[in-house]
Amino acid sequence: MTMVDVRGVRKVYKRDTQEITVLDGIELQVPEGEFVALMGPSGSGKTTLLNLIAGIDRPTSGQVTVAGTDVGQLSESALATWRSQNVGFIFQFYNLIPVLTAVENVELPLLLTNLGRGQRRERALTALKVVGLADRAHHYPRQLSGGQEQRVAIARAFVGDPKVLVADEPTGDLDAKSAHEILELMETLNRDFKKTIVMVTHDPRAADRAHKQRHLEKGVLVDDAVKTGAY
Amino acid sequence: MKFLPFILKHLRKNWIRTGSTVLAMSVCIFLFCTLQTVLAEINAMLESSGASRLVVRNSISLVFDLPLAYGARIQAIPGVKRVANTTWFGGSLPAKKEGKSEEGDDSTTDWSRFVPSMAVEAEPYFAMYPELDFKPEEWRGFLADLQGTVIGRKLANKYNWKIGDHFFLESFIPPYRKASGPFEFVVRGIFDADLNKYPGTDTNVMFFHYKYLYEGVGQNLNAGTYTVEVADPSQAAAISKAIDAQFENSDSQTLTETEKAFRAGFISMAGNLALLLNGIGLAVSFTILLVTANTMSMAVRERRTEIAVLKTLGFSSARVMGLIVAEALTLGLLGGAVGIGGSQLIMYLLTHTPGLSDMLLTIGLTSLTLPAGVAIMGFAVALFLGFAAGFVPAWGAYRARITDMLRTV
Repeated sequence: MTMVDVRGVRKVYKRDTQEITVLDGIELQVPEGEFVALMGPSGSGKTTLLNLIAGIDRPTSGQVTVAGTDVGQLSESALATWRSQNVGFIFQFYNLIPVLTAVENVELPLLLTNLGRGQRRERALTALKVVGLADRAHHYPRQLSGGQEQRVAIARAFVGDPKVLVADEPTGDLDAKSAHEILELMETLNRDFKKTIVMVTHDPRAADRAHKQRHLEKGVLVDDAVKTGAY
Repeated sequence: MKFLPFILKHLRKNWIRTGSTVLAMSVCIFLFCTLQTVLAEINAMLESSGASRLVVRNSISLVFDLPLAYGARIQAIPGVKRVANTTWFGGSLPAKKEGKSEEGDDSTTDWSRFVPSMAVEAEPYFAMYPELDFKPEEWRGFLADLQGTVIGRKLANKYNWKIGDHFFLESFIPPYRKASGPFEFVVRGIFDADLNKYPGTDTNVMFFHYKYLYEGVGQNLNAGTYTVEVADPSQAAAISKAIDAQFENSDSQTLTETEKAFRAGFISMAGNLALLLNGIGLAVSFTILLVTANTMSMAVRERRTEIAVLKTLGFSSARVMGLIVAEALTLGLLGGAVGIGGSQLIMYLLTHTPGLSDMLLTIGLTSLTLPAGVAIMGFAVALFLGFAAGFVPAWGAYRARITDMLRTV
């Protein structure tokens, strides 16, 4: 089954009277359970494409279908609900809520479900255990290292059991050791939890962890560098 | 409710800003409740004034008196039903001297123990005030005793006075003081008032015989004012003019007005006072609205990335807007609670602190109690301020696009 199906997508931003084409005729299919790395220079449209897949932006034209839903057809509120059920987003700068503890941050997406307080807390603690931070559950983000913050952010991304994880340069703000740990974790989520992952990265070592790498240049996908031996 | 801890954590994060905003809002609600309560008390007092009663005073000022001969001349004016000499005594209880257990002639006066007291011509005066309710035997006892006094229930309770009790009063007005010391009074009656039928009737006052005062100061005394009852309230204006015309060419010209107008004048032109107090309340509320709106805008501006994250996680724009408005409403709720509590406290202090409570009595305010309606209105104002302050930044968050907010760090 194709989890992410991007067909003929074009994205144009307007700045005053000037139109800037960020994505032009993108065709991308990501099968269920695949780990895809999107690479390319700054300004090539990687993050824009990721935002379209995550349903936090809409294409100017074309169709983005994720987990069987044409996200362009959903209203704003329906899109929000869809995101909460289908997509987990991992940011470069973690973006944890500073006033909440690690477990409260992870619990945040579950506030949108019908789960009781106890069930939410239990699930959040389980997610923290998966990322190896059960002992830091009650620490605030300021009390965690960058790598730990990103692991909490990953726990937050998958605690709602979404079908797709999208990551925008998840190792971009981390040292080599922490980056390695984060990539290990993402591989685990892909391999053991069968999560489809689309990751934007500049780092070739990070991209090497993916099953497939796609390169964007000036808003156009330029090649299909399928990694051999990844499966 | 599951979002409440999230809201409270944000408020706690910047507790100095939250505290100062709550304090600012509470000052606003405190002023609103206190000023409205004062106005309500003044209005209640004015509403208790009879439509058929007029007060005649010296046209120059209340400080100047009127000749005793005026009483009979006013009575002779057509339409006048009754006239009673009514003289504000302004007495205070004597302070006990050190080492003395009894009050008496040799004690000094404690001006902080002020007793609202009036010397009146009893029979015509009380005939004009059906709202004051006496037991017949107490009324007869009062009429028979020159030193006798009738006191309102509130005043009796305040000093624990009972029928037959003796006490001394000395006036702060020099012509009403006698060389031999304070006046001695005997409680002959305690009156009540049906507040359902006559709301605002004051029972924190005492009355005694004008004759006792007149003789006590050596028969050298005029009338403070005259209270006049007219047969037809619709003729009150015409009769007022007739009374003033009667004394137009005399040394002591008169100013006759309705009892309500007289009381309003007595408490510093209550009409303008209402305008002033409401104006102050409105100005303060508007200022606090700006302060709170600024605080909320800053709070939301600082959290643009966080709002973007919430939306990315699946929080709808309406829910994010609701969280911000709820945060502002919580500020309003806290401000309202503190403001109303503060207002209750200040009223308690004003009415229970010797000196302060007597100061209120001198302007005719015998009690200050925060009415439930004013408290509810205060809460409503606090919530409105919170909502109004939170709405604009919340609307901004509602409309903002996730990608734009993530771009601005």
